[in-house]
Amino acid sequence: MDDQAAALFAAQGTGALPDHPALNGGRCKACGYIFFPMQHYGCERCGSEELEPWLIGGRGRLVASAEVHVSMNPRRPAPYVVGSIATDDGAVVRSILEVPADADLAPGTVMTSRLVEETRPDKGPFDLRFAPETGRP
Amino acid sequence: MARLISDLVPVYVVGIGFHPYQYASDTSYVALGLRAIREALADARIDWEAVESSYVANALLGMAVGRPMLRHLGALGSPIIHIENASASGSAAFRHACIEVASGISDVALAVGVDKPPKSGIFRSPTGIPNLAEDAIAPFTHFALLTDEYSRKHRIAPEDIALVAVKNHANGAKNPNAQRQKERTLEEVLGGKAISGNLTALQCTPVGEGAAAVIVVSEAGIKRLGLDPGRAVRVASSAAGSQKADNDLNPDTALTIETMARAIGEAQLGPGDLDVIELHDAFTIEELFYAEATGICPPGRFVPMLKEGAWNIGGQCAISPSGGLIAMGHPIGPTGIGQIGEIVRQLRGEAGARQQPAAKAGLAHMVGVGAVCYVHVLTR
Ligand SMILES: [Zn+2]
Repeated sequence: MDDQAAALFAAQGTGALPDHPALNGGRCKACGYIFFPMQHYGCERCGSEELEPWLIGGRGRLVASAEVHVSMNPRRPAPYVVGSIATDDGAVVRSILEVPADADLAPGTVMTSRLVEETRPDKGPFDLRFAPETGRP
Repeated sequence: MARLISDLVPVYVVGIGFHPYQYASDTSYVALGLRAIREALADARIDWEAVESSYVANALLGMAVGRPMLRHLGALGSPIIHIENASASGSAAFRHACIEVASGISDVALAVGVDKPPKSGIFRSPTGIPNLAEDAIAPFTHFALLTDEYSRKHRIAPEDIALVAVKNHANGAKNPNAQRQKERTLEEVLGGKAISGNLTALQCTPVGEGAAAVIVVSEAGIKRLGLDPGRAVRVASSAAGSQKADNDLNPDTALTIETMARAIGEAQLGPGDLDVIELHDAFTIEELFYAEATGICPPGRFVPMLKEGAWNIGGQCAISPSGGLIAMGHPIGPTGIGQIGEIVRQLRGEAGARQQPAAKAGLAHMVGVGAVCYVHVLTR
């Protein structure tokens, strides 16, 4: 099991968004910069080493998406769909999307996180992905 | 107060040379590089003995490849430095060769880029920071996402963005040093192999092998060596930068806007003065972003003006007249130096079938993974 990959997300959500797994981001205590994923090397904005874990809620809006036809990585067989998501908490993440391959996803679509079965061998039981939040405009 | 390259000793490009960019072959990098350097020396009409310092750009060949190549020109003991800066390796080598001459430390310097694709993937040492789906998002998918974002934001059909490839393949067809020398119709571009999102294979650069070399000289060097000042092209500005902290999905463009503005300003020109532009068009969408970043047209206007012919050879500004990374190719280390070679050819009026009429100012731009960015402006 790859501890680093497992550390990317929490099975539970945030207080504000309990039903969707949260992302394990970080926050700089000196300048307030929010980033993902958490790291301890230093703040990209100000260089401070005073960094704290900061849960990023698993909800945001789609910025862009693309269906990938050619895989460069045998562990990620094509086709699959990826998206860029601007989270409500101010982070920007890119993830594989749980959608049909030909889904026409408009920018601004509300997306939420969910755990799916991990298919890569050394990454633990679950992978985090985003999908359109159903039942919302 | 920091100084600009234009504040120092004036620097000129006096020689350019290439080994044609091509698909991976059994030819050694030594043969590729030597052909480009010998062509540049011959073009400059100087002997190897006159070169005081050598900057060797590569990203994929491994450690210390310079002297095993340069020794075959005569091992005379002059300094050699290797420069690796991802796709911008050649641009970085050119900048530092110019800085050495501009500082007065040398009168004559060589910048040479040479590379061959690795047999088993590109190695990048791990940072220890994981990511969610980095292993599912190759560069072509990063740019497929940006294509989706741009086309929806500016209401430009992705099929029209593919017209960049049609233009650049047409230019590459006129360039004997290009890896792809075949004109392509829009139907051929769109009907080719689907890669990611709306990107097809002919909208993506073919990374191959090759070499490019330029000789940079001071005014004193031109006089001392008795060179023809009429074929010397002035390096009017050099600007470089790296990505700032932000949650930006398109860091290359943010960095390019800033670096372009500094380079064009340092050259005391406006964007409308540029006759020729070579930029980092590894994927069609990149040409839109970086051309708009120069200020030659407002954001979202690149494609409508492309359809009017504004960016063709003979148009308002020839963009990627060499064929760009999409058709001329992108062997990594040579690419940024090859752009300088194309602009020198254009400003000398020696570009033949690719000649932009009355070209007096040209701009070369590269970004590299990281991100880093280099912009040079050359003038007659
Ligand atoms: Zn900070």
